[in-house]
Amino acid sequence: MQIRLAHCLMLFVLGLPACAVAQGLSHWPDAGMRSGFEAADVGPYKDADAARFLTQATFGPTLEDIAHLRAVGYRNWLNEQFAAPVATQVPYLNWVEGLPPNPDGNNTVNDHTRMETWSINSVGTPDPSRGMVIPTDQLRQRMAFALSEIFVVSSKNGTLTYEPWALASYYDMLAANAFGNYRDLLEDVTLHPAMGIYLTHLANQKANTTLNIRPDENYAREVLQLFSIGLVQLNTDGSPVLVGGQPVPTYSQATVTGFAAVFTGWNWNNTGCGPTTYVCCDENNYSNCGRYDHNIPSWKLPMQPVEAFHDSTSNKQLLDYPGVALPGGVLAAGGDATAELNAALDNIFEHPNVGPFIARRLIQRLVTSNPSAAYIQRVASAFNNNGSGVRGDLKAVLRAILLDSEARYGPWQYPSIFGKLREPLLKNTQLWRAMEARTETGRVETLSPYPGIEDWYGQGPLRSPSVFNFFQPDYRQSGEISSLALYSPEFQILTDSNIVSTNNRLFSLSFCFYSEGESCWTNGHGAVMKLNTVRDAALANSNPGALLDRYSLLLMSGQMSPFMHQTLLNRLNTLDEEPNRPLSRQRIQHALYLILNSPEYSIQK
Amino acid sequence: MSLNRRRFLRHSLTALGGASLYSAFGNMRALAAAASHTTFPAGDFKALVCIFLNGGNDSFNSVVPYSASQYADYRSSRSVLIANGGVAFDQATIQANALSPLAVQPGLPGGPPSDGGSYGLHPALAEMRQLFNTGKVAIVGNVGTLLHPVTQAEYQAGTVAVPPQLFSHSDQSIYWQSSRPDDANANGWGGRMADRLYTGNTGTVPLCISLAENNLFQRGDIVSSYGMSPEGVEKLSYLGDGPESWVIPPNEDGFAAYNALLAADTQEHVFERSFANSTRNSIANYEVVDAALSAAAPLATAFPDTRMGSQLKMAARLIQVRAALGMSRQIFYVSQGAYDTHNNQVDDQQWNFSQLSQALKAFYDATVELGVASSVTTFTASDFGRSLGVNVDGTDHGWGGHHFVMGGAVRGQRFYGAMPSLRYDNNPDETGFGQIIPTTSVDQYAATMAAWFGLSATEIADIFPSLSEFNQANLRFLG
Repeated sequence: MQIRLAHCLMLFVLGLPACAVAQGLSHWPDAGMRSGFEAADVGPYKDADAARFLTQATFGPTLEDIAHLRAVGYRNWLNEQFAAPVATQVPYLNWVEGLPPNPDGNNTVNDHTRMETWSINSVGTPDPSRGMVIPTDQLRQRMAFALSEIFVVSSKNGTLTYEPWALASYYDMLAANAFGNYRDLLEDVTLHPAMGIYLTHLANQKANTTLNIRPDENYAREVLQLFSIGLVQLNTDGSPVLVGGQPVPTYSQATVTGFAAVFTGWNWNNTGCGPTTYVCCDENNYSNCGRYDHNIPSWKLPMQPVEAFHDSTSNKQLLDYPGVALPGGVLAAGGDATAELNAALDNIFEHPNVGPFIARRLIQRLVTSNPSAAYIQRVASAFNNNGSGVRGDLKAVLRAILLDSEARYGPWQYPSIFGKLREPLLKNTQLWRAMEARTETGRVETLSPYPGIEDWYGQGPLRSPSVFNFFQPDYRQSGEISSLALYSPEFQILTDSNIVSTNNRLFSLSFCFYSEGESCWTNGHGAVMKLNTVRDAALANSNPGALLDRYSLLLMSGQMSPFMHQTLLNRLNTLDEEPNRPLSRQRIQHALYLILNSPEYSIQK
Repeated sequence: MSLNRRRFLRHSLTALGGASLYSAFGNMRALAAAASHTTFPAGDFKALVCIFLNGGNDSFNSVVPYSASQYADYRSSRSVLIANGGVAFDQATIQANALSPLAVQPGLPGGPPSDGGSYGLHPALAEMRQLFNTGKVAIVGNVGTLLHPVTQAEYQAGTVAVPPQLFSHSDQSIYWQSSRPDDANANGWGGRMADRLYTGNTGTVPLCISLAENNLFQRGDIVSSYGMSPEGVEKLSYLGDGPESWVIPPNEDGFAAYNALLAADTQEHVFERSFANSTRNSIANYEVVDAALSAAAPLATAFPDTRMGSQLKMAARLIQVRAALGMSRQIFYVSQGAYDTHNNQVDDQQWNFSQLSQALKAFYDATVELGVASSVTTFTASDFGRSLGVNVDGTDHGWGGHHFVMGGAVRGQRFYGAMPSLRYDNNPDETGFGQIIPTTSVDQYAATMAAWFGLSATEIADIFPSLSEFNQANLRFLG
């Protein structure tokens, strides 16, 4: 053994890529998976298939969830998840606000508190605000996170930075709509005050020729470009409609002007307003009815119209497309704010682009960066008609995405390009779920390091630098990906500095906090997420190869290549027992770190 | 020749990683062009610094007229004064911050504003005003994305092609950074310049360095950029020299395993190769940059403790260690956010501009300290200018806007291009929706800097294919 190790090291010093033992082994995923002759939605037949599905549909597989999914099958699992109780964020903020002030300061509600409840609901750890109930609505929370990367609002906004209730309420709204209808989602997004602040249509007002005020076009533009139809007309399979070889724009400046006029007259919800609280928004107080308290209904309830500031007198050019309900796509003058909003959102909702537009984005968030046109078409068709004649049913969309043959068999159909770069935040949640991480108190501070988590990962929940999300659907990494004309959204945050900071954060999570103690710092206040290293200690001692098999299953859906397996095994076998560092724990920690930062793991396939 | 070829291959390997080397050969034209810049003479150093103002700066409230006629036009659009909750400056404030442009000099472009008016700067741009009035800053009026020159009549009739998706943040940022509104997939003009110059650098660190986000501006067909934190280089803890390396015992076998997984050309999946290449490049570059920075004396010039200050300070330090990095050409990207001022514009611009102006002044001073003031040119860019009309206390997306160029090589204290009318009604310079139609294209603005940076006319024509549509290929604000 000693001789072989010395040999390995010497090779490395000489600049050879790998230890002799691992050379010659395959770098492809381990073979032996199912070939896909059975129907895609039947199964899973193997633990690895179950883990792959759970990687797409949740914040990461656990041993328990793999067993359960195998027992009930994909379709029943989806139905269970559709019915699971909804975990929310606002009550958690309320609970923390009710706690007595403490020296740590973490009983003061701020955006860190929102990170706590996001972590508890997404990772599925005991919730101290609910008697340590464990949230079980993984699919809903995963969908809410995906939606939060499409319908973007962000704490990186001068106002929303200080409004955790508004952002928590917005996230809860996304979660509430995750299995609902896209049309309702679009309306709730449009009228949520966090969006009203973020895209500045709150207190938007009709044109005033005396003061040269024009309706604000911000929301009008982004709701079309980013939340619903995009810039060019699409076929159902997501490809652009071409006329004379050129894409066809979906709208013009006149359309943006029309929608901007529709979105006038909306202001804060007046619930609770009055002389002793805050100014009611009305005809006399439109631009001066601000909301300064953080936890009041106005930050959580839909905006309300003030008709005097709504443009009810102009005809509005909305979207025009084959079969459009409004003649020429023009909304005739005269409607009140609510009627016009409804007509405008219907006008967007019925546009043929919405299905392929949303389908591609959700597939990219959950499954693969480069879905085939046929896959997009199948999901878009489910959006267009859920089988019962209903358009926009997000349950049907999710079923179509996750049970599609491409989702289930993609790695065998497109072995060298299928999948996506894992988001750093999802690496983090997957580690915690795989390793049954818990804090002592249920409170969670580990997603609030200094500086903020988005400075380590390039992303954080509702912390995008702009409405264009952390990364965009059409981003292409320079080099091979770009020259193959592939898309790779998540590579946009794989900057040189994020590579290092993400890696170092995953180093901390792997090496610093574990069930028997803490290695790095001792300022966790009982709110540090610790990996359950005890669970795997015996296996790590007796059979490090089997330990790697377990982690390949939990973290890589069993796709670790023989080469990688052997390379890691070599590393684990050279570790020695040391004072305060049992061999078992070292093996677990090194295995996790090396997997989390490896190229093979980093691509979800 | 064989030496040059070897150097080219080494650079290519650094930039792309071995597995994707083939893509470098996909662009034979750029490859041939690269050979023309094999070395730069000793002492031939130049750096370009792009300051991207994210969100679309309201430049009509940055460079503001105070002469009677122009000010009246400005107030016809922006009728409500700041004191009354609007966005308009009062005349006296602008006059108190007046710019003193030089008279036109025979044989040289540039001079007082083209409309004969008098202009001042936003009060928070005090340092920029001082730099303008001492000849270190020029203003280029009404720059924007264009395919051809276009008039209001042509725009409204749709008879002349204009860039797609005008007034959209994402698209117009892309076109500002690529200068290719005809091609949505084009790389950035900084990157395309670097493609043709990088062989002149002897070191391995990419010619393009971002101190902010990943950006299109610095993406080339051949070269990639290096992105680093303005706070400095951080190393990987697992590899023994990072912030928490002390947590684990000496880890040589760990290095071996980690590096084996990342080894070039071994991954089977395209994305895995790209991930491995990016990671290896990041590690290789931080080692080189850290060694150079660690050996350098601190700068005497003090920088403000702001994000903009940190970014420009790091740019200055990387200029300082250019010899150790083997760099004769550098292109930096820094950015500042929150210019999308649909509301609260007055406070937000005050905050942004004070940080911008102070940091730019410190940066200019640092280039003087380093003896490279005439070798470093800094310029602003932004998604678009903003609308003439207001959204109560903010402004909407626009098109053309004014920009600043700073440095010892700038023929400063002058206005270039044309200043548009800001009149609200019957204004021939706007679209009909309140956005100003640009009269100087991004191509012209960028090509002027490319020429100064050392690219030949042929190369410039190649990088900016629409440039020939405009009657001035070089605005001559750099000499």
